[in-house]
Amino acid sequence: MIPILIDGVVQGLQLSLLAVGITLIYGLGGVLNLAHGQLAIVGGVATALLIGGGVNVVAACVLGVLGAGLFALVVDRSLLVPAYRAHGEERLLLGLVLTLGLSLLIDGYLNYQFPNTALTLRLPVPSVNLGGFRVRSASIGTSLIAILAFLVLLGFLRRTLVGKAVRSIIQNEVGAELCGIDATRTRTLILVLSGMLAGLAGVAQGLFSSLGTEMGVEFTILGLIVAVVGGVRSINGTLAAGVLLGIVNAFASYYVGTYLAFIILLLAAMITILVRPSGLLAYWT
Amino acid sequence: MSARRSRAPLASLGAVALVLALLPLATGGSAHYLRLLTLMLAHMAYAVAFNLIFGHTKQLFLCLGALAGGSAYVSVVLARELHLSPWLTMPAGILVAGALGALFSYVSVRRGLGTIFVGIVTLAFSLIFQNVILGLRDLTNGETGIVTRDLGASVLQRAPSSYYAFLLLLVGALLLYDALMRSRLGAAFRALSDDELTAELAGIDVARCKVVAAGVGSALVGAVGALYAYYSGLINPSVYSLVAVDIAVLITLLLGGLGTRLGPVLGGAAFAIIEELVRPFGQLNVLVYGALLIVLFVAFRDGLVAVPGRAAAALLALRRAGG
Repeated sequence: MIPILIDGVVQGLQLSLLAVGITLIYGLGGVLNLAHGQLAIVGGVATALLIGGGVNVVAACVLGVLGAGLFALVVDRSLLVPAYRAHGEERLLLGLVLTLGLSLLIDGYLNYQFPNTALTLRLPVPSVNLGGFRVRSASIGTSLIAILAFLVLLGFLRRTLVGKAVRSIIQNEVGAELCGIDATRTRTLILVLSGMLAGLAGVAQGLFSSLGTEMGVEFTILGLIVAVVGGVRSINGTLAAGVLLGIVNAFASYYVGTYLAFIILLLAAMITILVRPSGLLAYWT
Repeated sequence: MSARRSRAPLASLGAVALVLALLPLATGGSAHYLRLLTLMLAHMAYAVAFNLIFGHTKQLFLCLGALAGGSAYVSVVLARELHLSPWLTMPAGILVAGALGALFSYVSVRRGLGTIFVGIVTLAFSLIFQNVILGLRDLTNGETGIVTRDLGASVLQRAPSSYYAFLLLLVGALLLYDALMRSRLGAAFRALSDDELTAELAGIDVARCKVVAAGVGSALVGAVGALYAYYSGLINPSVYSLVAVDIAVLITLLLGGLGTRLGPVLGGAAFAIIEELVRPFGQLNVLVYGALLIVLFVAFRDGLVAVPGRAAAALLALRRAGG
């Protein structure tokens, strides 16, 4: 029981890390980023290519994460311009379709150009004894990365002026602009941040197991499920939903098989939208 | 005057049907090109259905593949397990697809979901469908799929007759679309696609309109999916995947023109040409789909249907400027 629980929490933290970028972008600009998983792949593939090119592993990981952020910056300045120019329902629709197109664009390119590139960081990862249970140190590493990322993110949003500006836009875009906050620049900043978080999730996945170019869709879907169950505007909700769904997934995979486990996650997202669109676990916005 | 106006669409429909009926002659007996044309007809029929759902009532269904596949699997599994004729089981599949579509629409309208959440709910359903098919290995053979060749729908497996079966379905779909659009419901569609709130205030039952559009559209999607199951000779989940059906149909409809009568036909033709052009590049077709989706949605929302009108307007403006 306990090993499955630990496994679930580890997976769950990974899921939260993957999903929090979707939450941030949607909360801030109303764009539901369907290319978020592909951003993670961009970061992971960049890292794998750099390592393949002889760059030091740690430097490659940092550069991969920064690369995903840079890619997000380009996306923000080009693709999302028409979306942010629109308002209301039209912006939601444009954001959805444009990022769907972007996800296909990235998937098509990466699968064509780097069909067999996979990020597998073969770090020496001995298992350690944690309270009587053997846990892979890679699991601890990725979990620590996720927890650290969340602490930094929450600190940024709560303590810094820019973070407060972000929260004010999430609450009311027009109101924030009336107070002199530049919504466009803040959105760019958040998109870059969310791209870097996605890249971090991709690199962490490579550390934990393996990351291939074909996993983008799966990442996007998983991130979407977690973001939706967490209530696509709440960061705490995303963290809680990720851990919860990770545990559910671990137990379901163990007892009823992976197909049914995935169906359970999808049903959770569907039911959340239908029953409580603000999220099952949203308690702080 | 009104009699003439009501006959004009039928005339253009007849012309379209005639051109499509003669098209196999242009292939010069090539089985490959006839197959491409048959696929084109299937795409056109999908797009007519999606036009009702998305073009007119703004419901972003990202589960066309799942609906088509659901209908196909219901029909094929029933035919195989109970040794029934496919022609008897196809209506069951179509009914399931229509009912599911209507259910999604009803629930979405009742819960007041916006476009984006309808998109997520239906996307989740798409993935559930894929996993159910993979999980029910005993009935569906998982990823390997089911061979449908010897189940008894031979009309759909011989070369020219299968083409005309799909043509019949497409013309039927277009006639149904015309009949719907000319009824009171059609007027309501036009009103609510302009502004839902105003339509509601004018006494239109917006919920009913949306559910009917989604139900009819989904049943039609199911019909195409079921026919395709017997035509292709083999069904597996990837035949009805998101990229294979939903994305392709979305691009087809955007190419042709959202909410127009002949948009799905023009878009289907254009999409078939594009597909043939990118075929040599293998995996890159997904990239082309993505680029098309972005460009079409941002810059070409009116579609090919609007091109002659725009060209005429430009010509007129040019003349006026010259004179």
